[in-house]
Amino acid sequence: MRIGVFVCQCGTNIAGTVATDKVAEAALAMRDVLHAETLQYTCSDPGQRAIIDAVQKKGLTRVVIAACSPRMHETTFRRTIGQAGMNAYMMEMVNIREHCSWIHSDIDTATDKAIDLVQKGVARVRRQVPLYSTTVPVTRRVLVIGGGVAGIQAALDIADSGLPVTLVERGPTIGGNMARLDKTFPTLDCSSCILTPRMVEAKQHENISLMVNTEIEQVRGYIGNFEVDVRKKATCVIEDKCTGCMICQEKCPGKAPDEFNAGVGQSKAISIPFPQAVPLVAALRKEHCRRFIKGKCGVCKKVCPADAVDYEQEDEITTEMFGAVVVATGYELYDWREAYPDYGGGQYPDVVTSLQYERMLSASGPTAGHVQRPSDGAEPKQVVFVSCVGSRDESVGRPLCCSVGCMYIAKQAILTKEHIPDSQSYVFYIDIRATGKGYEEFTRRAQKEFGAIYLRGRVGKIYPSNGQLVVMGTDTLSGGPVEIEADLVVLATGFAAARGAGELARKLNISYDQYEFLSESHPKLRPVETTTGGIFLAGACQAPKDIPDSVAQAGAAAAKVIGLLSRGEIETSPMVAAVDQLRCIGCFKCRDVCSYNAIEALELRDGRQVAKVIDSLCQGCGVCNVACPPSVVSLKGYTDNQLIAETMELLR
Amino acid sequence: MAILVSSTVADGAAVVAEIERRSGERVSACYQCGRCTSTCTGSFVFDYPPHRIMRLLQLGQVDEVLNSRTAQLCFDCMTCSTRCPMNIDVANVIEHAKMIADERGIEGDEKDVRLFRLAFLQNVRRHGRLHEARLLTWINLRSFKPFNDLELVPLILRKKKIHIVPPRIRNRRQLHRIFREVNSGDKS
Repeated sequence: MRIGVFVCQCGTNIAGTVATDKVAEAALAMRDVLHAETLQYTCSDPGQRAIIDAVQKKGLTRVVIAACSPRMHETTFRRTIGQAGMNAYMMEMVNIREHCSWIHSDIDTATDKAIDLVQKGVARVRRQVPLYSTTVPVTRRVLVIGGGVAGIQAALDIADSGLPVTLVERGPTIGGNMARLDKTFPTLDCSSCILTPRMVEAKQHENISLMVNTEIEQVRGYIGNFEVDVRKKATCVIEDKCTGCMICQEKCPGKAPDEFNAGVGQSKAISIPFPQAVPLVAALRKEHCRRFIKGKCGVCKKVCPADAVDYEQEDEITTEMFGAVVVATGYELYDWREAYPDYGGGQYPDVVTSLQYERMLSASGPTAGHVQRPSDGAEPKQVVFVSCVGSRDESVGRPLCCSVGCMYIAKQAILTKEHIPDSQSYVFYIDIRATGKGYEEFTRRAQKEFGAIYLRGRVGKIYPSNGQLVVMGTDTLSGGPVEIEADLVVLATGFAAARGAGELARKLNISYDQYEFLSESHPKLRPVETTTGGIFLAGACQAPKDIPDSVAQAGAAAAKVIGLLSRGEIETSPMVAAVDQLRCIGCFKCRDVCSYNAIEALELRDGRQVAKVIDSLCQGCGVCNVACPPSVVSLKGYTDNQLIAETMELLR
Repeated sequence: MAILVSSTVADGAAVVAEIERRSGERVSACYQCGRCTSTCTGSFVFDYPPHRIMRLLQLGQVDEVLNSRTAQLCFDCMTCSTRCPMNIDVANVIEHAKMIADERGIEGDEKDVRLFRLAFLQNVRRHGRLHEARLLTWINLRSFKPFNDLELVPLILRKKKIHIVPPRIRNRRQLHRIFREVNSGDKS
């Protein structure tokens, strides 16, 4: 056995606290070590070349690299010794930076510790055997969860590359929140005019199969081969038969809240959310339907010219295989009512959310684009916008910035002036955050050309008085409290993760933050990947963002998916569990504890049942090793022998 | 004239640190949204509304704060503290500015207010609860206005609004302990 030890100085990162030459000197005295040297930057080209030279000249069979965390450079050095002609796994990285030099200050003790760590690494690598990775075929189909603008964009980009995509949407139509917007900032493009063509394209695309009213039930498998159960919820309407004529909606006697219009106006128990819905199919909401509440009624079935209503319809669960998943579950507005009793807590009808106001401005909204205040239908003349409701507010547990509020307020102030020329808008803001292209100019236009008066301060209280609302705020620029008698108050409510985002994340085994926004794998360098391979993020499910950012991220996620699936197969880590079948007693405790269904029963020729690991499913977590009563399951690269040898070295 | 912030920040640091230590609040947590000011019940008589007090402290302008009418007149209704989005107890910050001003003998413009506050506390300390007759007499004498509101005395005596004999409370030792603890000045 011929072991080489390479001690990295990492500039002064390591050499500043650890006497690397002493470590190398000590390493030379260790058993089977016949080469040891220090290198200034081992990961650099000359550093790697030095390793290759040493391996080839001295015929090394095993290598120990004492440097940074294996998370940083394990792959680099595996490749290096692979280039040197060795098995890439005959290498051990010893972390003397994060685990030693960065956290100690005394040179002597840090050096001693580094020597101990190297000793441990040598003991371990002596018991290493060559490992070989295998490849598994991938399912060349993609699941996109969420049919908002991000999901649609990702689905279209992936489908255009030729991969089949299933686009799953929880609601009755795709389009998401963008479909509810009137105009978009900073260009004042009509939101639905630019979105609906994309929605139709998604519906018509030969590679996209669209599933609405569908939720993710369960997810199994891993990168390349996810097995997903989806639940298609019963809507009592046969999708293939419905023509979208809306006669059922017209005749339905059951009133229901209008979710698409954010609660402005009312809808029916059987309805189509909006005229450009995709697919244009009615859905019945049982919780509001007279037939299901009272047992009587059947109007929709009677009037339907296509015979598409079926009250007996039940949820259907289907299972499909996918190679990759894009999560684009989006956002919903933060429910401000409980947190802000000072703003009426939802008791004052003329205090509305930005999304409600958006529907009031929209030509396709319940008021057909005529701005009417909810209480008496009058046209508001004095409109107050309140920033940062449920944003930048630690007292309600939401210190985050919603990142779009400043911009959509400016947009709504402009639209207010366009709809009601003799109106006056007031905007309470704390800071104007307008960092996108053309955004700053846009907020300036709202003030300069459309006369919105910006007041720098937060609103303390809103109370009704003489049919109006008194808004008590501050203008810190003039230095004191101000009051405004308003006809309508629009709250710029912040973003919250979509309802159930955390639950979905748990099903997918991806991580999320305290607001249930889904976490990217690395904030800078892996912004669309999740911590689970093969699952990618797009849009506001990750953090509040505007439309261009969501679309850009969706394109990035699509590129990642296409890259992943273009290879047709994925190399699996060889660090998987292995069963010593001669000694296995067939108790299958390992199979019971395995989270990845990676262990199956195998019948030997003598009829004995033993456990067998499916290499392509095993994630190398090691749970089975611990569970096995006779200790015959071990993890390749982390065998009991290796771990015990390491521990013994440290205890010596 | 411009304020030389580089020197005010340095000069005021000690007093700001003292206010922060006693109140347990961080003035740097304030991001000047002004919500405290929006519903401040006293701002009509203040020279600096609460958000400006916080700003002055951030810039180390402690003399302005300690001499302000705000520090003298704030009546601790705590509306600012309730509404602060950063969970700063603004009223508590102002209260400690007030106490430090008292300790330094800063009288400010509102001499009578300060007199009243000190007399009130002394009165409660002695009797365990307010003895109005003594308080009023004491204030009139100390403010050199002995005949102030004297015409009201027969009326309030007749209506039994005021008692000549001081009230007695039971556990006076406990009361003294409360005062001692408050005066030790540590909020932990």
